[in-house]
Amino acid sequence: MPFDPTLAWDSLPRMLYGMLNTVMITALTLVFGLVVALPVTLARMSPRLMFSLPAAAFVIFFRGTPAIILLYLVYYGLAQLPSVHDGVLWVIFANAFICAVIGLTLNHASYLVEILRGGLDAVPAGLTEASAALGISPRQTFTWIRFPLAMRFALKAYQNEVLMFTKGTAVVSVVTVVDLTAVANEVFERTYDAVTPMLLAAALYWVLVNLMRIGFEFADRRLNRHLIADEQRLRKPVAASRQALLARWTSLPAPGTEQAR
Amino acid sequence: MALLTQSELGYFQQLASGAVITMELAVSGYVLALAGGVLVGLVTLLRNPVIQVVWRVYASIIMGVPSLLVIFLFYYGGSSVLSGMVDITPFEAGLSALVVVYTVYIAELVRGAVRNVPRGQFEASAALAIRPLSAWWHVIMPQVVRLALPGLVTIWMVVLKDTALVSLAGLNDLVAHAKTAAGATKEPFIYFIAASLFFVVFSAATLRASARLEKRFGRGLAVVKA
Amino acid sequence: MSGGAPNPAIAISGLDKFYGSFQALKQINLEVHRGEKIVVCGPSGSGKSTLIRCINRLEPHDAGRIVVNGIDVNNATGNIQDVRREVGMVFQSFNLFPHLTILENCMLAPRLALGMKKSEASRVAQRYLDRVHIGEQAQKFPAQLSGGQQQRVAIARALCMEPRIMLFDEPTSSLDPEMIKEVLEVMEELANDGMTMICVTHEMGFARRVATRCVFMDQGQIVEIAAAEDFFVAPRSDRLRGFLSQILH
Repeated sequence: MPFDPTLAWDSLPRMLYGMLNTVMITALTLVFGLVVALPVTLARMSPRLMFSLPAAAFVIFFRGTPAIILLYLVYYGLAQLPSVHDGVLWVIFANAFICAVIGLTLNHASYLVEILRGGLDAVPAGLTEASAALGISPRQTFTWIRFPLAMRFALKAYQNEVLMFTKGTAVVSVVTVVDLTAVANEVFERTYDAVTPMLLAAALYWVLVNLMRIGFEFADRRLNRHLIADEQRLRKPVAASRQALLARWTSLPAPGTEQAR
Repeated sequence: MALLTQSELGYFQQLASGAVITMELAVSGYVLALAGGVLVGLVTLLRNPVIQVVWRVYASIIMGVPSLLVIFLFYYGGSSVLSGMVDITPFEAGLSALVVVYTVYIAELVRGAVRNVPRGQFEASAALAIRPLSAWWHVIMPQVVRLALPGLVTIWMVVLKDTALVSLAGLNDLVAHAKTAAGATKEPFIYFIAASLFFVVFSAATLRASARLEKRFGRGLAVVKA
Repeated sequence: MSGGAPNPAIAISGLDKFYGSFQALKQINLEVHRGEKIVVCGPSGSGKSTLIRCINRLEPHDAGRIVVNGIDVNNATGNIQDVRREVGMVFQSFNLFPHLTILENCMLAPRLALGMKKSEASRVAQRYLDRVHIGEQAQKFPAQLSGGQQQRVAIARALCMEPRIMLFDEPTSSLDPEMIKEVLEVMEELANDGMTMICVTHEMGFARRVATRCVFMDQGQIVEIAAAEDFFVAPRSDRLRGFLSQILH
């Protein structure tokens, strides 16, 4: 493998700058994606065609279109419309970073709608019935029972989507946003060495993705503690083990243990 | 009533020829990844510690990296590594990249599906004195197919859309032609919408076909927990 | 047949219910008086569950009238919530909320539907959990409890709304045999305290001990209603006789 460690080390700062952009775009899109997806999900599940049809069209279009085309559409396509070009919002739409976030948000939101829908469908109907039988209103049932449980059911699918999406942000380099991939391209164009910057960028993406995966595992453990049937597993004997460790390092007997003579 | 001008017609014809290339790449990439993925998936189920470790590391690397980077690596990196011996075309680079990446995802899917086949199926086959190879072929694999079907459909949709990225490696596919047309005519909107409609229509067609497939293989039961 | 006592707890007249073209309930007439314990039994598909689910409008009925404690059960806004405050329901599959502790399970409806404050709801919930003999496990989640314990929690949860009528839809049918007794005991205590109950069940021993009247349903109709003793000892209809001979073995 023609890997150049010196080049890698030299380009690291610039790469980290690109990674910062990647992280920011990811974070912004995740937040805005949820904001957009919630109302669309409710519309999608509404029995009124007036709401469910446009919502379905939204999902079909933004999920079926590759992200790169969406970015082109927002960045180049919107600029073409006179209302945008001469409008007061031009400042916003001329900015590549903002265009990228808009395009990716629409894409991500459409996946989220399907994930939330799947989560809501997975909530057993009996729970909704029991809540109704207790006299709890439909809206309160949604807030306290259906949505919290839908989130837990959808967590795995959500995690998969977020991780795939994070890797997918690499495409924003095509609309001049200086993310991690764009920096790798920069270095390649400057030095004609393709392998070193690409491998380095790949490694950095790998770190980012796995950090996020670990974060999700924590969330999963916390949100699903109610599923742990075994009481023993719930009571984490943290204090005891800390004392046991202390005992080992300082050769003092741990409280409650027999001291070997 | 203005019909399409000569040049506009020309551009749409280009889009169509690009679409053909996109389809070729998507189909060949998926078929190869499917074959590879099933093979690798089954092999990595063997309880050999070396295979297990190698698989864990390899899968983690591939699944932690954007497919765009792999495409770039194969195209730009590939040319320099094989410096001068063989020229790598964008199509070849894109195909190899897609196959390498999605073989791993499909393999993980197959592994998960096999693990979700109820233990009782293996035990019953053994108790009935069915030979292992026959058991796999007649009892286990059909159930694996049924369990993996939703995931396989999802991966097909991802592969189809990922082919759009290969345009960045110089492939003259649908997206590349759309971009050229957009740049030349200064009317990006219509060409990009046309390109996106291509993908949307094929996604919808895929969903239709998959619904029918799932019915044929019995209800698409448990979602494979990858 | 019970005499025309004033203001029955539940008055059902001419009740019809269709699922598409299939008629699940045919001209049901039934009066339940305060403090009565009614056991409804019959073969599967006879409409017993459908009947009690119509009472608290988990299913809408298509013809006839249901009046619960003076409130007409129909689609008028506010009515449904009022009815559900009078009537508590216990399900075959417990339907406890898995992400809440059993104490929180019991507190939720009083807080949301009655506007009770957290501290008071907590006291009420603990009181009813104690009453079904599971108070010490208040901080546990449903998944940590056995089926019998979960069903007792479900009973407590319904009681926290202080309903005047309790509906039971095959409460012990999902339980392992050794846990059925603990649930039936709780139900018997409830009955002895004077609760008006309608219970769909296959537990005939329980029916003989606890019911004031028994109702036999078949194919969407009430075939026979009788006082508990007469029901088991001197069934009048052939269908009931056949049914009893099948299940009492």
